[in-house]
Amino acid sequence: MSTANAEAALQTAFREEWGRVVATLIRRTGDWDLAEECAQEAFTQALTSWSRDGVPRRPGAWLTTVAGNRAIDRLRRQARGAELAEGLAREQLGNPPEDEEDEPEVIEDDRLRLMFTCCHPALALEARVALTLRTLAGLTTAEIARAFLVAEPTMAKRLVRAKAKIAGAGIPYRVPPPELLPERTSGVLAVIYLLFNEGYSASSGDQLIRAGLCDEAIRLAGVLRALLPDESEADALLALMLLQHSRRDARVDAAGELVTLEDQDRGRWHHDEIAEAEALLAGGGPLTTPGTYRLQAEIARCHVQPQTDWGRVRDLYELLAQAVHSPVIRLNHAVAVAMAGDLDAGLALVGELAQRGELSGYHLLAATRADLLRRRGDTAAAAAEYARALALAPSEPERRFLRRRLDGLVLE
Amino acid sequence: VNYLLLICSDGDSTEEQEAMMRENTPSWVEEMEGRGVRLLGRQLDGPETAKTVRVRDGEMLISDGPFAETKECIAGLDVLECENLDEAIEVASKHPVSWVHSIEVRPFFDYDERPGAFAPETIPADAETSMRYMLMMCLDGIAESTEVEDEVVRDANAWHERVAAGGEYVYGHALQHADTATTVRVRDGQILLTDGPFADTKEFLGGFALLRCESRQRAVELAAEHPLARFHMVEVRPFWGA
Repeated sequence: MSTANAEAALQTAFREEWGRVVATLIRRTGDWDLAEECAQEAFTQALTSWSRDGVPRRPGAWLTTVAGNRAIDRLRRQARGAELAEGLAREQLGNPPEDEEDEPEVIEDDRLRLMFTCCHPALALEARVALTLRTLAGLTTAEIARAFLVAEPTMAKRLVRAKAKIAGAGIPYRVPPPELLPERTSGVLAVIYLLFNEGYSASSGDQLIRAGLCDEAIRLAGVLRALLPDESEADALLALMLLQHSRRDARVDAAGELVTLEDQDRGRWHHDEIAEAEALLAGGGPLTTPGTYRLQAEIARCHVQPQTDWGRVRDLYELLAQAVHSPVIRLNHAVAVAMAGDLDAGLALVGELAQRGELSGYHLLAATRADLLRRRGDTAAAAAEYARALALAPSEPERRFLRRRLDGLVLE
Repeated sequence: VNYLLLICSDGDSTEEQEAMMRENTPSWVEEMEGRGVRLLGRQLDGPETAKTVRVRDGEMLISDGPFAETKECIAGLDVLECENLDEAIEVASKHPVSWVHSIEVRPFFDYDERPGAFAPETIPADAETSMRYMLMMCLDGIAESTEVEDEVVRDANAWHERVAAGGEYVYGHALQHADTATTVRVRDGQILLTDGPFADTKEFLGGFALLRCESRQRAVELAAEHPLARFHMVEVRPFWGA
């Protein structure tokens, strides 16, 4: 077995098994730091062992056992850990690394426990996000710090504090009981979607790591979906993210400029991902009492059809606006009303939003108004709004896009 | 796991809300005692009755009012024994004060982590009726040197022994760092959680002692004798109706 093969196997194992190994060790030891450190050591040892002896048949089980042995060694060296170590050792005996029998997958539950614990609402939102990336996805503290544009010591402190709170405040390591499950599940979904959006917006920060956040979010949603097969909102969130992510290569042109949906080269969309999303949504049943991710996914689905059905988009946004009180959703609703054929009504809705002042300072309010005015042929008013949007836009690519639109107006 | 619930007032409340809280609190007490999760609790006198005690260079300095100068203030406490934080949050969210103001949930300090420190005995049966003053040990968030910490632990042990021997000590406990706090509010039927204490101040509650001493003067004296008064400060608050 070559080192290159072992490295490749290890990379795959890291993506697939890191969260599982850590989650199981946390359950067995109750010690988050110990779990992370021992998982790290197991992966390091794997590189040597696998290059020499070949990749084990069940890499996940191998890694879990080796990490468990490391934990036993460390605990035996601590006075207070001796008892825990012996319990752990007995558990390990029944679970040899090259066990040929496929045991029932109780391990799956550990990852679900870990997800719910990382996303516990008594932790600050930023801590939930960081903890999920560190313990479930295996990103290093430095990577997470870079993704969120904070100094590494700040991020390290955030993680230490979150773990101290879990242990100190008695946050249970478990899948919540039925009465808490719906609320806590939506909390986990919110963290995953936040991760995705951090990657998707990519307006600042390390582009490569941020794009990786989208992949991680999609992967975590897939895991959650597999673990909670009855949760239709998990399906919907995965579909939503797949649909948005499928357009990643078309959103920016060769020169690095933003391309709007209607001008995107559809040949550059990832149609396999769109098909996967369509299949997920097809399993969701009729839209009788849709969740908010389902509605957003259905909207995203309209946007990847050969012809966007703006009437349907408008109706979906109407439902979404009823479920979620958000001025941004109402802005999107206004756009859909305009695009569905009633430009004046759309503009009037945008005007109402502007008057309420909830979106003052939001460049997309001005940009939307400008776009609708442009479509109506109201060049002078559109130019004024583009100028306003330009002054508010947070990133250079967006400013360049708005400038091009503004220049285009003069030519028209 | 034991938790201290700090029943907090955010300041403004209407007479209607006051009446609602007064009316509903007894049934909360009854329910939680019945479940065996509430061990002890009582309402405090208003913040205007608070005295904050410091000892600097051997001199006792007393100021009027609570340790933290915010419009939020501590109005009462309950001691819980719960399965985990989820249960403590559930119990707090059923307390009518959380529907108007907020309740901070603070886990007890684990004395196993500091061998040799005074570990409190069980809560006496007559604790709730006999306790008259609460001492709140307030820390300023700046870590002390190991020497100072050891000195505080040693002197606090002696203080506990002395006050208990004199029959004036009812119960008390150290709390975990304020970073482990969770603040519970219920608005429109939704439980809203905040990571951290109810008021955003650099000072925070590090522990408490419940006393049955005769007078406020005596409570202030005992507060001044506690080692934390030398390095930080101790707030003295009478219980309501005591």
